[in-house]
Amino acid sequence: MLCQNCKKNEATTHIKRVINGEATESHLCSSCAQNSGYRDLFDDFSFNLPGIFSSFFGDTALALGESRLDRCEKCGCCFDDIIKTGIVGCADCYEKFYNKLLPSIQRIHGKAKHSGKVPPVHGEEITVKEKTVEEKIADLEADMQKAVAEQNFERAAIIRDEIKKMKGEN
Amino acid sequence: MNKDNNSSVMSDVVLSTRIRLARNLKSYPFPARLDREEKKAVCSLITEALADEKLIYTDMETLSASEAVSLAEKHLISAEFASNGTGRSLLLSENEDVSLMLCEEDHIRIQIIEPGLSLEEAYRKADRLDTVIENKLTYAFDERIGYLTQCPTDLGTGMRASVLLHLPALSRKGVVRNLTTTVAKLGLTLRGSYGEDGEILGDIYQLSNQVTLGISEKAALQNLNSIAMQIVTQEKQARAALIKDEDFMDLIFRSYGILKSAYKLTSKELTNLISYVRLGAAEGLFDIPAEKLSALTTELQPATMNTQSQTPLTRSQRDIKRAEKVREALG
Ligand SMILES: [Zn+2]
Ligand SMILES: [Zn+2]
Repeated sequence: MLCQNCKKNEATTHIKRVINGEATESHLCSSCAQNSGYRDLFDDFSFNLPGIFSSFFGDTALALGESRLDRCEKCGCCFDDIIKTGIVGCADCYEKFYNKLLPSIQRIHGKAKHSGKVPPVHGEEITVKEKTVEEKIADLEADMQKAVAEQNFERAAIIRDEIKKMKGEN
Repeated sequence: MNKDNNSSVMSDVVLSTRIRLARNLKSYPFPARLDREEKKAVCSLITEALADEKLIYTDMETLSASEAVSLAEKHLISAEFASNGTGRSLLLSENEDVSLMLCEEDHIRIQIIEPGLSLEEAYRKADRLDTVIENKLTYAFDERIGYLTQCPTDLGTGMRASVLLHLPALSRKGVVRNLTTTVAKLGLTLRGSYGEDGEILGDIYQLSNQVTLGISEKAALQNLNSIAMQIVTQEKQARAALIKDEDFMDLIFRSYGILKSAYKLTSKELTNLISYVRLGAAEGLFDIPAEKLSALTTELQPATMNTQSQTPLTRSQRDIKRAEKVREALG
């Protein structure tokens, strides 16, 4: 097994740690593991092992086919690289691969929009806005499709009625 | 989040506070896609932007391995940053409360460490430095997903805030596992420091925010602060009960006795014994300042001990030396 951190050397050290009650294991080479004693608390190490983020992609990657090899013009990174390394090449990559990245970003952070500090060129601090009716309907439609996929037609019918009502009110 | 007037009570349990902001420049690819020269260019742009801040500049390429590791043991840089200095720089304030790792995982990692529970103050310092850079350089930012980071787990505010908690009484009560589940539901992570055998070391835990996208800095800090205060209250109550237990009192005094008279001490043994002595000191049983215990823990880590010795020490020599230093310090 290769070291999860450098992906170059053979992993010789296996570190177990428990985060939020869940045991995770890291497999590292001796040079990466050398300092594991003090890595524990202050490093965000356990969040950032490439394997952990890549695992968020799951089957999205397979569904993309050839388009995963399109390259970012600025840094030369393709979506396949992002899946393999768990890291993004540059700011432009986020723009180019936004739709492909979004599902995995949402699996980490939930369906959220940025809230908080904003660089001065981008204007005022962003505070979370109440969802628009269109957004609420889109959410409901997604829920309805999910219910249908799960063959939960009763629930799908309830949601459909809710959507009708919201569209009517508008 | 008013500055608490019972801060000494807090610092019995909250050892330190840390804020970290991850930032990247818009015009350069993220560090993993930069060669040495490009990294150096990024480092000098940021260093210039902070020229008025009286920070000490270090080219990481010029440090010996042991010097770099020593900085990591003090938590001023990450272990990864210590392991490879190519093209990287460090900016450090004189009293070491502010450190900026340049071209680590992101172009900029601003880190503030404050003693005790001090989230508001720590964030204020980080935010000010961030704004100084922001006014001179253009950050990678997207209105939908916030500050853009090399690893998508940091998107949004790019802020990781954490407090280091000493929880010997709650650990002993066996409630930490439940606590980790509870705080996870509130968007926080509680994790312990684990040895290689999976055993908890020193009853020290880190409580940090897990989510960075969709929650503002202010809300995340308030959330963290209020949960930290609740945990402190629970720990203090558990301690008050524990102190009445004669067997536990015996354990505290014995721990102190071993530290004062042992001929050899392993790093793990020291960590665990210091935990009880720290608790005893906090409860007024011994007159030892908490800072002294923290300093001992930092100083006597294996790598730092090696850097301070002329010749490499064997494990056994290190254990003897460690016990000697502890005896000296506790007199
Ligand atoms: Zn490795
Ligand atoms: Zn790119």
